[in-house]
Amino acid sequence: MAENVLEIRGLSKSFGSTRANIGIDFTLQKGEIHGLIGENGSGKSTLISQIAGLYAPDSGEMRLFSESYAPRSPLEANESRVSMVVQELGVVSSLPAGVNVYLGRTKLFSKFGLVSIKKLNQAANDEFEKWDLPKVGLHELADGMLIENRKMIELARAMSVDPEVLILDEITQSLSYNNRNKLYELLKKFKAMERSAIVITHDVEELIQITDRITVLRDGEVAGVLESANTTADEVKQLMVGREISGEYYRSDNEPDYDETAPVLTVNGVSVAGEIEDVSFEVHKGEILGFCGISDSGIHAIGKAVYGLEKLSAGEVLLNGKPLKSPTKALASNMAYVPKDRDNDALMMQASIWENLALPSTTELTGKMCFISPGKLRSTAQSVAEKMTVKCRDIYQPMSDLSGGNKQKVNFGRWLAKDIKLLILDCPTRGVDVGVKAYLYSLMKEAKKNGIATILISDELTEVLGMSDRLCVMKNGKLVTIIPRGDGFTEHSLIKVMV
Amino acid sequence: MKKLKIKTGDLVPFAALIVIFAFFAITSNGKIFSGYNLMLLLDQSMVTILLGLGMLFVVSQGSIDLSVGVNLALSGVVGTYVANIVGGWAFIPVCLIVGLVVGVFNGVMVARFKVNSFMLTISMLIGVRGIVNYIQEGLMKATGYGSQYLPESMLFLGNSTTRLIIFIVVLAIMAYLFEFTKLGRYGKAIGENETAAKNVGVPIKTMKILAFAISGLLAGLGGVFSVAKLGSTNQTMGVFQEMQTAMAVFLGGVLVTGGASAKIYKVVLGSISITLIVNGLAVIGKAESHISQSVEGIILLIILFITILVNNGGVQRFLHRKKNQELQ
Repeated sequence: MAENVLEIRGLSKSFGSTRANIGIDFTLQKGEIHGLIGENGSGKSTLISQIAGLYAPDSGEMRLFSESYAPRSPLEANESRVSMVVQELGVVSSLPAGVNVYLGRTKLFSKFGLVSIKKLNQAANDEFEKWDLPKVGLHELADGMLIENRKMIELARAMSVDPEVLILDEITQSLSYNNRNKLYELLKKFKAMERSAIVITHDVEELIQITDRITVLRDGEVAGVLESANTTADEVKQLMVGREISGEYYRSDNEPDYDETAPVLTVNGVSVAGEIEDVSFEVHKGEILGFCGISDSGIHAIGKAVYGLEKLSAGEVLLNGKPLKSPTKALASNMAYVPKDRDNDALMMQASIWENLALPSTTELTGKMCFISPGKLRSTAQSVAEKMTVKCRDIYQPMSDLSGGNKQKVNFGRWLAKDIKLLILDCPTRGVDVGVKAYLYSLMKEAKKNGIATILISDELTEVLGMSDRLCVMKNGKLVTIIPRGDGFTEHSLIKVMV
Repeated sequence: MKKLKIKTGDLVPFAALIVIFAFFAITSNGKIFSGYNLMLLLDQSMVTILLGLGMLFVVSQGSIDLSVGVNLALSGVVGTYVANIVGGWAFIPVCLIVGLVVGVFNGVMVARFKVNSFMLTISMLIGVRGIVNYIQEGLMKATGYGSQYLPESMLFLGNSTTRLIIFIVVLAIMAYLFEFTKLGRYGKAIGENETAAKNVGVPIKTMKILAFAISGLLAGLGGVFSVAKLGSTNQTMGVFQEMQTAMAVFLGGVLVTGGASAKIYKVVLGSISITLIVNGLAVIGKAESHISQSVEGIILLIILFITILVNNGGVQRFLHRKKNQELQ
């Protein structure tokens, strides 16, 4: 029996009337990678936030190396060598990457009150090298960096306290294939050093692969602890939801199924400076066209370029034969774009839910003399919210109150109120739980049945494999190959082309 | 389900107005409620409201237009000048066109050339004032008068009832544009999250240019009102007017960042509040005292402080803490 690094007994925490954690028991062994999984709102984040010193528990106790452990702040937790990478972005945008790594600890590099940025960046660089993290411009401001790079900064920050316990909250969701592998390597190295980690992810298969044990939470309580080696994805999912999961997650057919004679969108030799080069493809009525590739492959720029958000240095995008140049034209042509970073790029967080839901339908609801009836806007929003079963008190609540999965329902669902012809989805299931994920897939299937053409861009290979009719593989900004659904549709064969 | 959603923050402009009214009602022994004074108050706040309405379109998008005061002066001076040459009929159109041109210029600079609206309109505030002074100096040399008079055919505008009618019509049009058309809805979306609005397909540039154009147009109308009220132009036209207008907008509870907090009624209430402070001090006979401006400043600070406290949930937090203490 291995030594317990962290022991938690009867931990409870409530927010107002919501009981987020109810009598949680949890142990973390030395040299163990411990997975934590549960639906949105099952209390995962609350649990690790208490371990990391963000909240104090209402009752129960924690012991770290058999000593009482009650951190009052993340910095105190750091001093006990417990560090965490949070789910929401935790970097200060207006500071350079290097300073972000040592945020709150710049004193380490100061002499007479002056901080030596050179020494600081040197140390940050060492940290990146030690763990073989992808290079990030340490002098660059975190603002404007890709989510992925910002996550790497956070990871370097967590590693720089030389932690005994490392907590990762849904970090893989933001990473592309190659950087996920780097993270797995990091965890292996970490484990070999006899250190311990707690990993949260919604990806059940991934969790089983990289962890030793898995604790499943449901409605704030521990639903079960499983040995990763002896469990299956279905068993984990069942424990999470508390009932048998029926039906198919992805598509069940194994052949492309769309109207080849009716191209909706044609992309002709499109280039975007520094992003993509000479990309050509067609999307047809009722087709789901997948895009995958490692980071910097340019898959995310495809979505933006098609929706008119990028300046094309060459080529053209034709919708039903007519050129498309601006997002405004795209909106008017019944196209829809669901960006990857929903909090920053898609939703108005301080505005109400109904305002977010109604925004893309504004033109449709404009009547005579440019009149827009607020009542109609609200009723449209209300019906979408009901159809999508957005969990909220009412549609007047601010957007920021919603959980990740429900935000995504708004982000996605608001387009389905319209009569759209083309749907562009960029990582539509990032950071949402299995239940919402299955629901979003069912929506995609429904859209397909209704003849909507879909461009599905994703960092998750299983997702594009599971849903696409044809799959475009990108590498270094170029479209390498287009694989039709069928026998070639395996992760193994994709990775060969991608890397 | 409750139909009406009232946030505590939305009540502050009402509360502020009532408190100021009550304060001056007591200190002036009710003189402030005289019919004459109420009419005067309305007349005095009209220009601030007009400029505030225009500024609201800009502020709701998260920008600001500090050139409205100087734009008012330029429009009024040029409009009167042209009217005196070609005839009274030209007065209103020229004022409006000058205002519009300045507004569109601002809009294009902000939308197309990505100049920060605060810096741009401050530069305009300084630069255009120079042009106004230059024109007025030239007139001084030519005619011996620094100010020019409104042609007789236009003097009917001096009647405050005429102005009131125009004012109400314009207010109604602006309220319609702001609350019930794409212009207002998209503008607020831009203020909430410009990237998100762009990603949906909101025509950002067009909306920004239109907002500044409306602000300029209303500044031009402000020029018409200011000249008409006095019957002539003068050296201090529009001086400090942009600050008073901006203050009125923010005092009414519109957030500097724009977005859904932008409402027409807030501008109206904020403008009346700020005019009332000046008017009230005059009624109680303190307007000429040296400290009157300081008093104005202090009153404004107090109201702003309360607004911020309420909007940030400071009051709710305080009450919550109290409750928790009692529970323990």
